[in-house]
Amino acid sequence: MLNILLVDDDEEFTSVACHIIEFLGHDIMTANSLQEAYQILENNDFEHIFLDFMLPDGSGLHLIDYINKSDQTPYITLITGHPLVKGMLDSLCGPKIDYLAKPLQREDLEEALSHKSPKATNKKHNSSLPHKHFGCLIGESDAMKALYTMIERVSLTQANVMLMGESGVGKEVVAQAIHSATNKVNNTEHQLIATNCGALTKELIVSELFGHEKGAFTGAIAKKEGVFQRAGDGTLFLDEVTEMPIDMQPNLLRVLENKKVTSVGGTKEVAVNCRVISASNRTVAEIAEKKCLREDIYFRLAVFPIAIPALRERKEDIPLLAHTFLHELNEENNRQYQWQAVQLQRLMDYDWPGNVRELRHAIHRAFIMSDPQSTSIELPTIFRSPFSSISESSHSVSAGQTIEDVEKELIKVTLKDVNGNKSLAAEMLGISTKTLYNRLHAYGEFKE
Amino acid sequence: MNDQVNNSDAKKINELIHDARAPLNRISMQAEMIKLVLENNMPIEKALEAADKILISCQQCSQSLEHIANKKSD
Repeated sequence: MLNILLVDDDEEFTSVACHIIEFLGHDIMTANSLQEAYQILENNDFEHIFLDFMLPDGSGLHLIDYINKSDQTPYITLITGHPLVKGMLDSLCGPKIDYLAKPLQREDLEEALSHKSPKATNKKHNSSLPHKHFGCLIGESDAMKALYTMIERVSLTQANVMLMGESGVGKEVVAQAIHSATNKVNNTEHQLIATNCGALTKELIVSELFGHEKGAFTGAIAKKEGVFQRAGDGTLFLDEVTEMPIDMQPNLLRVLENKKVTSVGGTKEVAVNCRVISASNRTVAEIAEKKCLREDIYFRLAVFPIAIPALRERKEDIPLLAHTFLHELNEENNRQYQWQAVQLQRLMDYDWPGNVRELRHAIHRAFIMSDPQSTSIELPTIFRSPFSSISESSHSVSAGQTIEDVEKELIKVTLKDVNGNKSLAAEMLGISTKTLYNRLHAYGEFKE
Repeated sequence: MNDQVNNSDAKKINELIHDARAPLNRISMQAEMIKLVLENNMPIEKALEAADKILISCQQCSQSLEHIANKKSD
């Protein structure tokens, strides 16, 4: 419970706001002018003050001055209805001051009183952040624009979708985008249910997908609905579908064909009507070659296959993602870190084999390592993914190569690994920097 | 000279927009009040009172918009 002061000259507004704030469980006093507010502040302490910017006897800023000179350190939320003032308040806001623009809603008041993060209530006014397509996807590259078009098209239908892409490209986020777009098109609020087929044992998978009756097997102490039923008319997201044991796949095929499920131990068939979005980090060629998914199931699931681009194929989106991730971390941790152009260039120069997930991880790590007193974030000297070294190490030596070829390849791979830092590369190769430069000169690859 | 006239017009229009936002703010908060009453089975009279206030604020808002329209056509 907070002690709150509301200063506003609109008596009808203060009266109704009082009711609402009291209902939220707080104590509130009101003042209709600066003079009244000064008098109240002389005898009372407040944890939060809602303050109209324009009052009959002066500006709300006068009251902020008065409070700064007193012993009180309340949170202050300025309230304004004036279009010109909003821009000015942006620069005024600090850790304990934020603002709300009229007309207000109850959730604005709740958010301001939550004190979760400074300027939390400004979120909806922050126009400098990249646009989130379908509420969750970030990127303006051609590859992403093509993806958005596919999402828009498929959202008009109920077709099953199979998402393919490398690990970390954001398959679940794309599934969420398709689901949200479908809900928007149909003006519905259906659910998205997600399950990971690779994480379920052979014994559990049927029960997870189709549900079970009480007593159907040892441990089935209560009836359980399967994910097909839980998804209702919404979306079922089957992640890592190609990791589902092959002998369990006919059960899935039956549901996809008949649109009916029978729970384990049950006798009654229940109709299901959800769209199935499945995902795999294998390529179509790999799926066919390794036979990890039955052909008939593939065609049922991949009515509309979508390939999600790897991050290295849309490097121009990296700064947009970096700004968003850093903004989220700043908000969560009450920091003000900012990117420098040279840092964003470094992020763009790296290939990110772990895709968006690896980028987010690297930014989070850099965020933790940065000096809390500073506003600049500290990136590591080199980016290195354990997964990239595995994939690169597979480019090994083969018969017929000359020693010079192998040496050249080793230098190239090492330089790539340390983002072109020649001193570090020389150290890793066990040669002097001068020798490395000599070799690069000899290969004709050295550029000043 | 023209710039001064334009600035003065813009200032006036901003003031009129500010005047229109005040009744909109009351409408928004009174609507929240009605939701509270209905969600928590509070006396229905409170909701009716809030609805009446919304209707009055709608009229005030309409008048403010008319002022803005007149100002623009001046």
